[in-house]
Amino acid sequence: MMEFPRRDFLKKTGLLTGSLLLNNGLLDAFGAPLAAGKLRIAVIGCGDRGTGLLKILQDLTDKFEVTGLCDELPFRLRDAQKIGGTGKAKTYTDYRALLENKAVDAVIISVPLNMHFQVAKDALLAGKQVYLEKTMTYNIPQALELVQLVQQRPNQTLQVGHQYRYSPLYYRVKEMIKQGYLGKVTQIDCRWDRNGSWRRPVPEPSLERKINWRMYREYSGGLAAELLSHQIDFINWAFETHADEVFGTGGIDFYKDGRETYDNVQVMVRYANEGMVGNFGATCGNARDGYLFKLKGTKGTISLLVDEGVYYPEKDTLKQYGTVDGVTGATKITWDKNGGLPITTGAEPLKDGSWYALSEFYQAVMQKKVPDSNVLTGARAACTVHMANQAIYNHTIEKWRPEYNFA
Amino acid sequence: MIRLLLVLIGLWFSPPERVPLRAFYLNGYGQGTTYSITYYAPDSTVTPDDIARKLAEIDASLSLYVPTSLINQFNRSPHGVVADRHLRVVVRKALEVYQATDGLFDATVEPLVQAWGFGNQKVATPPSPAAIQAILPQVGSDKLHLRGDSLVKDRPGVHLDLNGIAQGYTVDVLAKLLEDKHIRDYLVELGGEIRVRGRKWPGGDPMRIGIERPEANDLPGAGMQQIIQLKAGGVTTSGNYRKFKQWGAVKSAHLINPKTGYTFQNNMISATVVAPDAFTADAYDNALMGMSLTNALAFLGRHRDLQAYLIYQRPDGAVADTCTQEFQKLIFHE
Repeated sequence: MMEFPRRDFLKKTGLLTGSLLLNNGLLDAFGAPLAAGKLRIAVIGCGDRGTGLLKILQDLTDKFEVTGLCDELPFRLRDAQKIGGTGKAKTYTDYRALLENKAVDAVIISVPLNMHFQVAKDALLAGKQVYLEKTMTYNIPQALELVQLVQQRPNQTLQVGHQYRYSPLYYRVKEMIKQGYLGKVTQIDCRWDRNGSWRRPVPEPSLERKINWRMYREYSGGLAAELLSHQIDFINWAFETHADEVFGTGGIDFYKDGRETYDNVQVMVRYANEGMVGNFGATCGNARDGYLFKLKGTKGTISLLVDEGVYYPEKDTLKQYGTVDGVTGATKITWDKNGGLPITTGAEPLKDGSWYALSEFYQAVMQKKVPDSNVLTGARAACTVHMANQAIYNHTIEKWRPEYNFA
Repeated sequence: MIRLLLVLIGLWFSPPERVPLRAFYLNGYGQGTTYSITYYAPDSTVTPDDIARKLAEIDASLSLYVPTSLINQFNRSPHGVVADRHLRVVVRKALEVYQATDGLFDATVEPLVQAWGFGNQKVATPPSPAAIQAILPQVGSDKLHLRGDSLVKDRPGVHLDLNGIAQGYTVDVLAKLLEDKHIRDYLVELGGEIRVRGRKWPGGDPMRIGIERPEANDLPGAGMQQIIQLKAGGVTTSGNYRKFKQWGAVKSAHLINPKTGYTFQNNMISATVVAPDAFTADAYDNALMGMSLTNALAFLGRHRDLQAYLIYQRPDGAVADTCTQEFQKLIFHE
């Protein structure tokens, strides 16, 4: 009989265990519904985003029942009602009437940015659980006030709709950053470009400002608030940091169609504690890059799309892997032709980030736990977006202030 | 006197000046994966074309992905085909391992592999118990026979799948190609299966082979699970950690028990086997994956030409590893 030495495995299993823990965590978060049952949810604001979330809710009928729909434009309410799962929903044109409905436990707020604070505040005061679209608030004072309000109401959840980072891919990237795959990150490049006016069709001219609210500074934080805020938020969360200095520029450089918000913006952010520079840009005049998100460190780069990620080790990092002459493995890892390794998160294809975000919202409400995208992280991102717009419009360098250090 | 004579003979046979060996690297695609070859020689005597030609020759015989291949002709035929050398050699080995593993390694498992969606056709749902029962009578290497130059089957539905050992066989064939050109220091890798001989030059360091850490993620772990040094032999790994399908709550690994028709349910995560050649190693790594840890260790105790490193899951869910004593000696400690 041979003797087989049995050792306690593997002091070196960090990565494996890490991923297993993460996967289990995700399973918990997205697992079977609790005995407490379904959350009765209403959507306030049935534009593109509100109806988009209604469609996601169709895949979450074990967790949510849609009991209310609100929009001040009747045609939008009619369109929302055509989406499956809304059959039992009462319709409203005034959100305050909806908030009085006791058959509504939770609300999704997807109204123009300038309304975020007021509607969220009223919803909290009406005792509702709140899923508030990003950017959390229009300006910094509102962010400060909302933080205070939420902190006074520990039995209620407020989750901010930075949905992309709820994808297991983005959790995995955060984990990889922690595990040192990237080494020291010095530069982050973010873009969200399109070749198009960013306008929505308007059935009659009087509705222009209601439908194309993103074009007007009274209602909107422009490209910075609507697009770049996701990447700004992700960096805050992944590196547990915030912007210290914000530089910006931009203009109405192509669509001189009466809009007020810029169709071309660029923001530079200094992260002093982290020793990082973030570059955030968006234009309506070129679609080549589309969504671009690159985190660049001394050991490697991660290049992210919304649902795909690739890790590119730096040359010296590759050399470390090269200390062996060959590798035997169950199913070979195949590097892509650019020298990158696709980042995968399991056997199943990734779902839309909003699916994961709404699933966590359900868990957060049911278990009274603070969601990962919460009022504090939402406020940090909102402050940075506000600073960015100040820098862009006023040609100033905006500095982080101690009063933004929410805790 | 004798000693002097030996020294003289030694001088006679040693070349006047040794030509320094240089490293040559060949990389490319083959058999649905990539290969990489490193060899040390005075000059580049093996070309990518040599490799491509050899791979095409093997594909024409053994590949399920080449419609006209000999193996596909056999699978379509009601009785059998005249086999070429590749098919004969690989089937002979497959039958030998079938016997040695009491049927756990079975090259006729292909219809089950297809039914479970791990073949070249996608399936939407796992096979029903009735479907599996209908397939099982076609499975079993006892229905397969090498007669003269022919490979014949007892039932028309018998299908061959040699993917479990074809890659190991292929790296051995490529190694032979190098040997035929008098190359004695090389490492041939295809799809994570390896054949190695000799040392690295200049310097004369032994070749090092990393055993990949099992991960569900396709990422280059924070390093290797283990690194071994091997003077000559084949090293292959079979594992359940990357290829699997999720059917609702049921997770099915890609290795299927030819006796039951269902995927193996045991505590094995991966098996790395070292054998005199890659062909043998590759044939046994799958079979070890089909055994419980206890059975695998007992099997290895009876087959001393096989060395193995096993990663498995304990009842409490923790991951653990073990290896044979001879394998332990191969492990490189930095």
